[in-house]
Amino acid sequence: MHRRGHGIGAIKNKNLAQARYKDKGTLLAEDQFAQMAKQMETFRGHLEEFAAKHKDDIKKDPQFRIIEVCLATSHRNGGLIGLEELRDRLVASRGKRSQDISLDDVFCAIKKLKVLGNGFTVIPVGKTYLVQSVPGELSMDHTTVLQQAQEKGYVTKTDLLTKLKWEEERAVRTMNFMVKEGLAWIDDQAKERQYWFPSFFPYNTFAA
Amino acid sequence: MFVIIVQLLNFCFYLIPEFFISGLYSVLFYVVSDILIVMLQEMEDFSWPWQYQFPPFFTIQPNSDTRKKQLEAWCALVLSYLKQKKSHSVDVTEIQNSPLFNNKEINRKLPPDGVYAVFEELQKKGHLEWKDQKTRKQCLIMWRTPEEWGKMIYDWITSKSMTNTVCTLYELSNGDDSEGQEFHGLEKWLLLRALQTLEQQGKAEIINFDGNEGVKFF
Repeated sequence: MHRRGHGIGAIKNKNLAQARYKDKGTLLAEDQFAQMAKQMETFRGHLEEFAAKHKDDIKKDPQFRIIEVCLATSHRNGGLIGLEELRDRLVASRGKRSQDISLDDVFCAIKKLKVLGNGFTVIPVGKTYLVQSVPGELSMDHTTVLQQAQEKGYVTKTDLLTKLKWEEERAVRTMNFMVKEGLAWIDDQAKERQYWFPSFFPYNTFAA
Repeated sequence: MFVIIVQLLNFCFYLIPEFFISGLYSVLFYVVSDILIVMLQEMEDFSWPWQYQFPPFFTIQPNSDTRKKQLEAWCALVLSYLKQKKSHSVDVTEIQNSPLFNNKEINRKLPPDGVYAVFEELQKKGHLEWKDQKTRKQCLIMWRTPEEWGKMIYDWITSKSMTNTVCTLYELSNGDDSEGQEFHGLEKWLLLRALQTLEQQGKAEIINFDGNEGVKFF
């Protein structure tokens, strides 16, 4: 506090003096910028120091781990990961010495993430949940499609028309959105186009 | 599964002397079954990525980001498949019908335009060359580019302090010295390509001495 006051005081005095002789606007901006740059550097140094010192703690932090897993898998599933898969990957990455992580543990960690406003959402689908880790709103319709797709891993337009009693336009619009967002892949080698969700596709190893 | 059955039969023959009708027959059986086991293991050993069981993988995706990921996965799969077979020469019709592009288990096959899209991508990355650019029925797929082979060979030459020496192409790829190296047994056309990239970098010169094709490393 005292140091900052000293800085501002110094600027003020300097400005008052020099303003009489040079262009006030430029000097003021230059000085302030220099001060700000210096403070940013100091802050950055402290932050780096903190990160290095607490690197291990940060890495152990469950919220951090969850974000890591979601980021690592989002290229495959578009940012939607099944809760069990998330838990299994967390357990696998922690190694033999770690305690077992329950689904509840994962739930709690995600709830904390939501408080931070990180854009993590949990979507109930059938008996389980999907964790959404990419920004962008999924509407009720999209969530409903996911719930429908959970059984076989895919949906068809007919499924939406018959089981959900949707109109054609609504079904087409919803599925186009999910394909556009990279959440669904299309399969045209069945009787009718199938929309598949990698999030529901069984994963065998954690390599991919 | 097949492997287990064959091994069980082997075991029976060993345990029950009555089956030892003729020594010759049993020896033949062992030999044949051993060959079968090796063949089957070679096929089983290739581990397919998760995408190979994913039906949409065999439909070219309309979403451009998804399609990019898809084509990259296909390129990687094609290269590792051919690397395992140690094969470079590809006939498009033949490979379209092979397990690579044709997963009978899930009844999905990548259509011809899909295969060509993958091959175009491989060509862009320098891994594929058409033997017949107009008809595009035959190609060479280098799962290691000539540059990569060249670098590997030059690194090995340097590690053996063999710069400023001369050797024949045959010695290089088939000599005792290079036994155990990945480029050992490399096909001559590809070896030449690799050496040509080194020539361009001033690291080697392809020469002809006493009617032998050879190379000098700098």
